[in-house]
Amino acid sequence: MNVRRVKQHLAYGLVGLIFGGVLTRIGFADYDELHKMFIFADLRMLYVFAGSVALTMIVYVILNRRIPRQHKIIQPGTVPGSMLFGFGWAITGACPSLVFVQLGMGALPALITGVGIFIGVWLYRKVHGRFFGWDTGTCGV
Amino acid sequence: MTEYWPWWLGALGLGGVSILYLLLIGRLLGVSGSWAKVVAWKENRDQLEAAEALVEDTEAMENALMAETLAEFGEDAIRELQAESATNEAAEPTATASLDDLESTTPWTAHLVFLLSMFVGAFLVAWFTGQFELRLDLSATHSRIFGSLWEVWLALLVGGMMVGFGTQMAGGCTSGHGLSGCARLLPASLLATAVFMASAVFLSLLMEVMIR
Repeated sequence: MNVRRVKQHLAYGLVGLIFGGVLTRIGFADYDELHKMFIFADLRMLYVFAGSVALTMIVYVILNRRIPRQHKIIQPGTVPGSMLFGFGWAITGACPSLVFVQLGMGALPALITGVGIFIGVWLYRKVHGRFFGWDTGTCGV
Repeated sequence: MTEYWPWWLGALGLGGVSILYLLLIGRLLGVSGSWAKVVAWKENRDQLEAAEALVEDTEAMENALMAETLAEFGEDAIRELQAESATNEAAEPTATASLDDLESTTPWTAHLVFLLSMFVGAFLVAWFTGQFELRLDLSATHSRIFGSLWEVWLALLVGGMMVGFGTQMAGGCTSGHGLSGCARLLPASLLATAVFMASAVFLSLLMEVMIR
């Protein structure tokens, strides 16, 4: 393992640490807070989300040319996949990053959610390779 | 119970993380992508090894060729050859393995470090702010909706599978589509975000109605 690789791991680790801490202080991983957002009882976290998208957008415009190209396309899985994810999010209160934050805050059953996500990701790779031929874009397979 | 951040501080924090990710790592934040790399760690490892072998091969091959040419034709020929290949490369980049290919392949272990350090960061912050609470269910509201511990755990397993399967199928999640993609106004990300938010709202409202 060379110096470059070590630095790369450290960078991922540092951003992960801060990401986990920030999500904890926002309360995104708190099911009660999340549920209140989804039933429109408390819009605070919706504003957090909208605000962070706006901030990111401004910085992207400033950095313009240095933003790497993303391969995100509308494909046959975009709508059904997002529906499935939305339902799963409402049930577990976890998106792929929040599950680690839930666990960090002491909610032990997040381990079960994590196992579920692992199985889901693994299963989709199998199913996709076997039955679907389309391109899912960068974040996916 | 410690209060959570006000919305503007949260927005600064979350937006800051996506920007920090871009500046430090040079890519756009996308956590379901990290999951995919970790779950498919074997493929990622093989890919990385193949790229490394190719780079080494290319270098070894070039060195050997150079030595041969030097022995056969002398230094003038080399200079001529280098000038020629320089113009060739400028005209059309050749598709050989380079260090760039190797470096653009992030090792799965870095993604694993990223995911696990999210847990560590959350734990440290929760611990020091007094928000850490060891529990066997998710929350009071969650238990009110799903019932006994066993039912809660079953819901989490099935729900987790839906999250894993769904994010891979959609090609992104809250961070990849919702944050990085929406910030660039990508049509696929706007569609995906609208659909997953609407689905979550729909099911949450439905659950709320059913427990009343």
